[in-house]
Amino acid sequence: MLTPVGGGGGVVVRDVRRSFGDVRAVRGMSLQAAPGEVTALVGPNGAGKTTLLLVLATLLTPDAGEVRVAGRDPVTEPDAVRARMGWSPDVFGMYDNLTAREYLEFFAAAYRLTRAAARSRATELLELARLGDYGDQPVHVLSRGQKQRLALTRALVHRPAVLLLDEPAAGLDPHSRVELRLLLRRLAAEGAAVLISSHILSDLEEMADRVVFVDQGVTVGEHHVADLPVARRRSWRIRALDRDALVAALAAAGHWHGPAGTSGQPGPSGPSGVSEPSGGSGPTGMSWVDVELESEQAAADLLARLVGAGVPVTAFAPAGGTLEAAYLELVDENAPIPPPVLYPAPPEVRP
Amino acid sequence: MKAFLTGVATVAGQEFRLRIRAGRWRWLLGAWFVTLAAFTVLLRLALAASEGLSGGNQPYGTPMYGSLMLLVLGMGMLVVPALTAQSVNGDRERGTLATLQVTRLSAAQIAVGKLAAAWGTSLVFLALTLPLVAWSVAEGGVPFGRLAVTMLVVALLLGVVCAIAQALSALLARSTTSAVLSYLVVFALTIGTLIVFGLAAALNTERVTRTVPQPVFAEPPSPVNPTARPAPDRYEDYTYTTTVTRTDQIWWLLAPNPFVVLADAAPALPERRDPVTHQRLPSPFDPLGDIGHGVRDLRAGPQQEEVTQPLDELRPRGPPVWPYGLAVDVLLGAGALVLTTRRLRTPVRTLPRGLRVA
Repeated sequence: MLTPVGGGGGVVVRDVRRSFGDVRAVRGMSLQAAPGEVTALVGPNGAGKTTLLLVLATLLTPDAGEVRVAGRDPVTEPDAVRARMGWSPDVFGMYDNLTAREYLEFFAAAYRLTRAAARSRATELLELARLGDYGDQPVHVLSRGQKQRLALTRALVHRPAVLLLDEPAAGLDPHSRVELRLLLRRLAAEGAAVLISSHILSDLEEMADRVVFVDQGVTVGEHHVADLPVARRRSWRIRALDRDALVAALAAAGHWHGPAGTSGQPGPSGPSGVSEPSGGSGPTGMSWVDVELESEQAAADLLARLVGAGVPVTAFAPAGGTLEAAYLELVDENAPIPPPVLYPAPPEVRP
Repeated sequence: MKAFLTGVATVAGQEFRLRIRAGRWRWLLGAWFVTLAAFTVLLRLALAASEGLSGGNQPYGTPMYGSLMLLVLGMGMLVVPALTAQSVNGDRERGTLATLQVTRLSAAQIAVGKLAAAWGTSLVFLALTLPLVAWSVAEGGVPFGRLAVTMLVVALLLGVVCAIAQALSALLARSTTSAVLSYLVVFALTIGTLIVFGLAAALNTERVTRTVPQPVFAEPPSPVNPTARPAPDRYEDYTYTTTVTRTDQIWWLLAPNPFVVLADAAPALPERRDPVTHQRLPSPFDPLGDIGHGVRDLRAGPQQEEVTQPLDELRPRGPPVWPYGLAVDVLLGAGALVLTTRRLRTPVRTLPRGLRVA
């Protein structure tokens, strides 16, 4: 049902550059997105992700460099690329006065599907987007997430071999994000090359096979998610039944330098340093603290100490995902860690 | 070609559907019809009231139809820019243009399809005047040829304004700017051509010295029978200076004026003769014919001799002006369409300041 048409080839980008006047948006990006894989494009705002996707989507000519989408050159053969490529922009508009079905059928016609094919394809895609009941509703009554799903399925109308998605998860609720993940995995399994940019790193970690880090217009790293480099220094979140005991033990271990904000009150705790912890506490006295540690070994040592000191530790885990840590390390390699923040405690749910 | 037209039809159908569903057209169409209907009714009453002045026995249809078409063209040129000026940049602002450009529709298909929808919309306005047109035709004095030609010319001129407004909306980032500029273009074509012609006429006015032979009579006219003149005894050269405006050099400045094109393109009315006496009847007041007559005279340039015939029976002295004007206008429209297509072509190398692809 989703099987892409057209040759493979995925996406190949070689040293692409693109400026807008004085602004050098892309200053040398190279990457590959292979068929059958989901490749994530990760980087801070202004890193050039959207510009690169516009080049791949046959909308912008690169100033220099080479691009292949599904084996074709978007500059010299834009129509051949368009026949094989689906693109969903980060900011998009809808034709508010159309129904969801008319919207999809219009784009099916624009991709030269016959009327009958367009109709059945629209039905398929509405089901896929869980919008089956909304087919005859005007687009403007759809929620933001529903519109987002509709826009995504629009990019699938012609069964593209290459799918370019700019921030597709923005505005989606958790349920829809899981569905997006499943859908993209399925498309990849059926042979499509999926290139996706997103800021929701925890999703990407489970969705993507490979990650391409970009910063200031340059690709700075290309990794398989499975072997992302483990960050040297990262945050660990420690949770204990007894906050005072935890803080005392951390202080004894040299990881707590001053009085923390009182329960629920955010505030800086002592002179800020690399291993400055931060934390919060819930109404039940259950509390947690984030501590910066140099290595996995340091974490293991600290855990052993805490347990040895009789602190009732209930959780000791990396804060944030591997991808997030790698991303943060990339974004400010040498930037100072921001002053610690006491997080509001996660809500406790009582039966 | 068939594939091209299929794409055009896809775009045009979509645009037309969106326009219809947007809803604001109902009020616009209503106001349009009411205004024109009120005008036609008042004009008909005025013509009936002034019947005695104009000598009577003249068909009302000629002045009714002529005035109506001039007004329809004028109002049409006011409505069309508003309908078209955001055809491209409005889509860009709403974020629906780029998703269209990455489909297999070509830039030309998008441009032509959008123009077809805009033009079609303006033709809906023209179609709405048909009941009033039918009324004035029923009043007599509007030959079928004149009806067909003028309708066609108005439709064509509205299409030209559509194409220009659309090109401006493709060139400029903001739809308000392109709307204002479209109105300025309409102003330039209608009032601007008149102003430029007027100024050029002042600059092209020269003093000429003419010498004409003047009869000289030895005897004064007979007091008994002053009209019975003998043959002049001799002729003397009489030299005088006068100013002459060389409109034959600047007539083309008026040619692109849409009202001039419409009026001059209207075929001349056939002569009317009394069925019994076969005497020539005076022509009815004919706004289209009079304007056309006027510009053809301008094209012919200043007259050497005095007018001796009654004005009514004069044939225009110059050749038609409208083919040039219409050609210029249609070329303007075609150029605008080409410009729109070029602006819609992707991938884009250079983006104008302040414009984003998506």
